[in-house]
Order: sequence, then C-alpha cells, then structure tokens
Amino acid sequence: MSEANLNPETIVSDRALAGWELISVVSSIVIAEWMFTTVSGLSKLIIAIPILLAFAVMIFSHRARNESLRDIGFRFDNFLQAMRLLVLPMLGSGILCLIVGWRLGGTINLFRWHPNRFILFQLMFGFGWGLVQQYALQGFLNRRATMALGAGWQSVLIIAMIFGGLHLPNPALTVITFAGGIVWAAVYQRAPNLFALAVSHSVMTWLVVSTIPPSLLHHLRVGLNYFS
Amino acid sequence: MKPSKETKVFFSRQNLFQLLIAKSIIEALLVTALAVSFYLVVTNPHLRGWLDQADARTISGWVVNEKSAGTRVEVQLFIDDRFVESRVADSFRPDVQQAQRATDEWHGFVFQTPRLGAGDHEARVFAIHRGASDERRTLQIIGKPLRFHVDAALTDSRGPATSAGETQ
Repeated sequence: MSEANLNPETIVSDRALAGWELISVVSSIVIAEWMFTTVSGLSKLIIAIPILLAFAVMIFSHRARNESLRDIGFRFDNFLQAMRLLVLPMLGSGILCLIVGWRLGGTINLFRWHPNRFILFQLMFGFGWGLVQQYALQGFLNRRATMALGAGWQSVLIIAMIFGGLHLPNPALTVITFAGGIVWAAVYQRAPNLFALAVSHSVMTWLVVSTIPPSLLHHLRVGLNYFS
Repeated sequence: MKPSKETKVFFSRQNLFQLLIAKSIIEALLVTALAVSFYLVVTNPHLRGWLDQADARTISGWVVNEKSAGTRVEVQLFIDDRFVESRVADSFRPDVQQAQRATDEWHGFVFQTPRLGAGDHEARVFAIHRGASDERRTLQIIGKPLRFHVDAALTDSRGPATSAGETQ
C-alpha cells in the first residue's frame, strides 16, 4: 500500500472524522458514567482515564481544526444575544416545572438542591459544572455534529438525544435534559456563547430541583448509580 | 528560513486520526480490565456447597469457601423470593470433611422452616460474599432451588401461616 493510501486525508472525509470524534467523546463519557459505581475507593481514579482522553481529543481536535476559544463560545460579545434567545424558553420551562410539580403534589423548596450549602455558592457551582457540560456538549459535540450533518434540526436533535441519553436510565431526567438539549443546541447554533448557556444550565437545574418532587428526579442519579 | 504553514500547526489532522485510534484501543482495554476486575470482586469462584433438603420442617445443606476452608460462610434463606433468615454455616457435617471438601466438620447449615401457607413453596439459599470492599456484598446461590410442599394438616397444627418475610 502506498503512503498516499495511508494518509487520513484520503481515507477519511472531514464529515466522517467529525462524526468519529463525536462518537469517541460520547463513548468516553458513557464509560466514565456507567463504570463509576463498579469501582470503589481510590480505584475510582481509574475513571479519570476516559475523561482525560476525551478532553485530549477535544483539545487536540480544536487545535487541528484551528478553532479558537472565541469560535468555541468562550466570549462575551454575543452574551446578551444568547441570553435573549434563552429567556423565553427558560420562562416557559420554569412555568412548566411549577405546573408539573404542583400537579404531582410536590412542594416548592428553593433550598432543596443542596440544603447544607449557601444557595448563591450552589448556583456558582452549578454555573461551573454547567460550563463544563455545555463546553463538551455544545463547544465540541454540537460543532462536530454541525460539521457532520450541517446546522439545523438534524444536528440539534442529535445533540439533544446525546444529552438525554447520557442521563439514562433516570426517566424524568432523560426527558428534561432532552428538552433542554434541544433549546441549548439550537441557541448555540445561532449565538455560540457558553457562558450564557452555563447560566441557563445552572438556573434551570435549580428550578427543576426546587419544583419537581425529589422522588421523581431520584436524586439526579444517572448511569449504574441510578440503581444504588 | 521561515517556517512553513505546515510546521505552524501544533496538532495535525493525521495526529488527531492517530489519537482517536489510540484512544479507542486504550478504552477497549480499560473496559475489559474493569469488567474482569468487577467480576472477580463481586463473585467468589471458590465457594462450594449444596442445598440438600427442604421440607415443611427444615432446610439444610452445606457450604465451604475452598480458598479459606477454615472460615465459616454466612448464608441467607429465601422462601418464595422473600428473605427469611441469615445464619453462619457452622453446623456439624462430617460427610463434607470425609469428601475432602473441607478441613473440618463444621460447614453445615440447618434452617427451621417458618410457618407457611399450605401448598408448594421454593427455598433458595445464598452465600454472602463480602469482597475486598466494604461498600457492597453479593449473594451467590448455593446448589439449586428446592421445591417442597406444605400440607394443610401441618399448617393447622402449627398455627396460622404468615408470609415468609414476616416470620422474623
């Protein structure tokens, strides 16, 4: 076989490579999520391997494709534009949460998320964790889905399905994150700003935890941990 | 000489291609290693035993941990899939030692059958495996489940029946 035949440029198209990157990162998250409860004590550190590998692929992929932090969504110039796009879906979802919580006989408790933590600190923590999730979901996966399938409903649906699927087998959380995934992926494709998405992620998690009965959310547990 | 555009690229598409292949191999090995180690942690392939007999009065058998034949194994009785009782298998069973399954004669278990309703019932006995971690314990079935029948006459003579789980 000649050297030209071994060149990735000639054997893998750009769309296929983007799809491969997407599947590769999702598989790492699935491995970490589902394997976490099978190990205990210090052995849990082994789960860092797929997470580090996923971050390595994401970072090196950005470099290989010449994507800047600004391209990815770490920017402030379109923050307000992204927030404007998010406000209505957030209001709608908030009202829906209140109705669902009320219909299911739950009580509203704004301090239920982590009762022993100061709520502002918890919201900041939620922002940080939301930023990590939104970076992986939108800053990387959405961008690769867009490269593979083009911008529009197909790539938005793929991202929502991935986000919902990563919250299996928790049925309530899967439905909620699928819906959130559609909104966030669509907003990111119009105004790529990860800070706005992280704010939305944190506030919506707070609203969901405060209104939906805890028995339905099953302590936000996902993967094998759901059964423990 | 000015560096070419090619050399400015920190990480090329070809490197990314190679990284993806390496990552796939590492993760496949990791998942395999985790699956094997999980199996070894939650199961004990050295447990040997048998559920010999089950009727309306007693349920008995024996169990030995061949890796540590001097220790006693804890067993749990379930009737009709309901937990009934837990005990240590330390009853006298000389035949187990004679068959060279254990180094001593104290690996039997005998449960008193609780009051049951008339009809057919199924007994299962499980050995408890604690593994290396305190976080989880697993149950391994001993022998095969045994079905037995309780006569209405026996039920009448022992008083009203309760469900197996409520006898404790």
